[in-house]
Amino acid sequence: MSSSLNCIGDVKASRREFLKVSGLALGAAAVPAWLLELEAAEAEAVDKGKLADAALSAARTLRASYADIRINRYRNENIFTREKQVQQVSRTQSFGCGVRVLLKGTWGFASSHKVTAEEVRRITLQAIEIAQANAAYQRKPFTLAPVTKVATSWRSNFEKDPFDIPLEDKIGFLLKLNEAALKVKGVNFINSSLAFVNEQKFFASSEGSRIEQYIIRSFPNFNVTAVDSVKGDFQSRRSLGGPQGMGYEYAEKYPWLAEAEQAGNEAVEKLKAKPVEPGKYDLVLHPTHLWLTIHESTGHSTELDRALGWEADYAGTSFLTPDKTGKFQFGSKIINMVADRTQKAGLATVGYDDDGVPAQRWHLVREGVFVDWQTTRELASLVGQKTSYGCCHADSWGSVPFPRMPNVSLEPSKEKITVDALLAGVKNGILIYGDGSYSIDQQRYNFQFGGQTFWEIKNGKKGAMLRDVAYQSRTPDFWGACDAIGGEATYELNGSFFDGKGEPGQSNAVSHGCPAARFRQITVLNTAPAAGRS
Amino acid sequence: MLLSEQEAKAICQKLLDYVKADDATVSVESENYQHVRFAANNFTTSGRRENVEASVTLWLKDKKGAAQTNEMDDASLEAAVRQAEQLARLSPVDREYLPTLGPQPYKPTQGYIESTANISATERAKAIDAVIAACEKENVTGAGFHQARGVVAAHASKNGNFSYGRASLVSLSLTARTQQGDGSGYFLRNHFDVAKLDTGRIAREAIGKALRSREARTLDAGTYTVVLEPQAVADLLGFIGFVFDARLADEGRSPFSTPGGKTKIGEKIVDERLSVYSDPWHPELPGSQVAQGGIPAQKLYLVRNGVLETLVYSRFWAKQKQKEPTPGPVNIVVEGSQPPASVEEMVRSTERGLLVSHFWYLRPVDIRTMAITGLTRDGVWYVEKGKIQYPVRNFRFNQSLLEMLAGGNVELIGAPERVSASESQGSASALLPALKVKQFHFTSQSEAV
Repeated sequence: MSSSLNCIGDVKASRREFLKVSGLALGAAAVPAWLLELEAAEAEAVDKGKLADAALSAARTLRASYADIRINRYRNENIFTREKQVQQVSRTQSFGCGVRVLLKGTWGFASSHKVTAEEVRRITLQAIEIAQANAAYQRKPFTLAPVTKVATSWRSNFEKDPFDIPLEDKIGFLLKLNEAALKVKGVNFINSSLAFVNEQKFFASSEGSRIEQYIIRSFPNFNVTAVDSVKGDFQSRRSLGGPQGMGYEYAEKYPWLAEAEQAGNEAVEKLKAKPVEPGKYDLVLHPTHLWLTIHESTGHSTELDRALGWEADYAGTSFLTPDKTGKFQFGSKIINMVADRTQKAGLATVGYDDDGVPAQRWHLVREGVFVDWQTTRELASLVGQKTSYGCCHADSWGSVPFPRMPNVSLEPSKEKITVDALLAGVKNGILIYGDGSYSIDQQRYNFQFGGQTFWEIKNGKKGAMLRDVAYQSRTPDFWGACDAIGGEATYELNGSFFDGKGEPGQSNAVSHGCPAARFRQITVLNTAPAAGRS
Repeated sequence: MLLSEQEAKAICQKLLDYVKADDATVSVESENYQHVRFAANNFTTSGRRENVEASVTLWLKDKKGAAQTNEMDDASLEAAVRQAEQLARLSPVDREYLPTLGPQPYKPTQGYIESTANISATERAKAIDAVIAACEKENVTGAGFHQARGVVAAHASKNGNFSYGRASLVSLSLTARTQQGDGSGYFLRNHFDVAKLDTGRIAREAIGKALRSREARTLDAGTYTVVLEPQAVADLLGFIGFVFDARLADEGRSPFSTPGGKTKIGEKIVDERLSVYSDPWHPELPGSQVAQGGIPAQKLYLVRNGVLETLVYSRFWAKQKQKEPTPGPVNIVVEGSQPPASVEEMVRSTERGLLVSHFWYLRPVDIRTMAITGLTRDGVWYVEKGKIQYPVRNFRFNQSLLEMLAGGNVELIGAPERVSASESQGSASALLPALKVKQFHFTSQSEAV
């Protein structure tokens, strides 16, 4: 699936063209002339190629064996509302450059919000000084897997740039959504928001690559609350539609209004729902829920840097180790997990990573067996691989690129298995929608997940709503207990804008696609008694 | 270079001069951040970031817009203001608008040390080498994170308010793991003064825990008496901050809401020996001079002798409820009213229980009771007859914090120590005591080390 690899000639020129076209289409209010002029002036003022030459030649003179520079602009728009009011509308811009050098096998990095030739030379020197200070005590030098040099540009796959959509439309969208939830009897509160991200990235390396990328992501979100003030109880139901690597068309095409009304009904219903009886149940997990379990148990355990102890101080290590590659039974034979930076609408979908390595697709788990890792240029050779899978990413011009998760997805069954067919095989079970509370240990074995809504499955049919449900399992046991997965028609893509990892912590946007799936005899607990309530 | 007061004031003034709107607040933050990571006893990444961010929030009558930029040239600053004005023009009425503050009497706090904000890369490399060498000597594998930060924050309003503050922070965490992967120890401390960060102690504690946690035995999950080291308390109480919001409590969606639409103000919510307060001028834990909403910070008790004394009112919610806005909290100190007990005394007085050093991946499962789940990590020991007997494997827990801190469940309280929640990576700070708690609910085992 490489349809999203939508290469175009020149990102900057294209952006201006695009603005011009949409400015005509949407009226002057959408893109004021002064903003267009300012952006054009900025683009001309900063000659990224020249700045890159300044940094890379300084690094070479100072004996760096490798260097790269990233000159990036990040734009964010956030709109927050509650009930009938808009709470916050904000736009932020962050522009800057970061230089990374490898000196005597030791990394150094420095960055600044000032993007001038003089500043670029200053931070290159700083990066060299940091590398030099640490190199004096370095035990094992790093080496980089080879990469083919490339001069290109890439644009993510979206129809409508959300930064060109009039604000009134966005506010109207949220307030209508709030209205839909609030008209449900018993609903007291709704918070809703829209978040849009635009990354304009430039990368140049001492090996000759020059890459420009233009990326758009969108995240509509809401949370409905119903309060029972007599009992002193409250329940919430968050939106099931997650963030996507799409433009504003996502707000227009997904059935948000229907979901807001449904969420209102379900928040009210949760107040009266039957508390779950703890025990072992068969679970049918909807894609709006299962994506997070995939993320935590599979996405993170197959990160090679974790397995090598590089994240031991914070995120942790992994129960998977290099000697288990190709041998370890990760799950049942129907489990195929694929890593994919080319996936359409994927949040981690890019043209190239921050090492300048092209986006790729490969299997992590094939027919239940753990077969491969997520790698970067510095990691690949450590498991005997010649090239990197392209998993290097930094969340800002001021952050150090390091291994980050690609989109990791569970492949659907080739057979046409529906959710009803999955339910049909269950005598006593629970159907779960939406992601809730989540927690997993530092080697990615023991986990506990909640959800948004929980439904009894009795004799093959969806029954009454349950509440206070969480399930606990152990990664290989859980995936080993999967005995049926849905077909292509049940497949959905969900994900997170904010996957945290690293020190200092960095955020990564990542998607996980999956069909609905069935898991046999999983331990379910009632979170309310554990919380000291009867 | 961090902005001086004069420079920060000039940027604020420039932003305010561009504002044509009726009211506005502007702010500028300047940051100098440096870090080094090491893992597998090797330096991995190391870098620095210098950034300045200017923000403007303005109101055209009562319509609000906000924008932020990190480009400090005149054209970019003006563009940010114009963008905020454009957003305001298109926004509906901000029903929570209150006129911005006029000049306020801020009392400066002292939490900035120049040698911390501009740490020496060579001195730092030497200190980290010593930590790695200590790991090598004991045949353990070290992974850790050292960060140093200097921050300047200045705020100004169209109505004449201005504040300028500086703060510094340095932290070091170390996770030491045995070569066989059967033992792991963790230790983290931070300070605003690099001279007071004891990197030697951090190495000794983490390595010692790794060695003492080898050959862990498996113990059944269940309810145990626990001795929580200050780090474990910091990890648990990292969740405490947000729950003191008055509006959420008044709206019936907080642990401090009561049936019938009231709040728990004036009620005993935890053991009567415990108090929770904020003190901007605490010498060990200086807070910001500016509290929420720009009001001057003051010392305040959230919980005094077990009784809920304060819920936090924003300026808007205070006006709605005819109260005063709350001048804090800007830091958190938890203190016991009796002479403090040491961790050793807590262990000595334990007939049967567990000593816990660190919790991980804590997430709320039920806001109503402040119930959270998470796991122990990097060292749990079984205690019997007043002595540490042997290390045990990790557990997952599900525990209400209110139940944990309730009268009758808290047995002993230690002396507050400057600690940092591990999930904040050393960035958060609080003064928290070790605690001995009668009943703590572990719900399953974890084989992770």
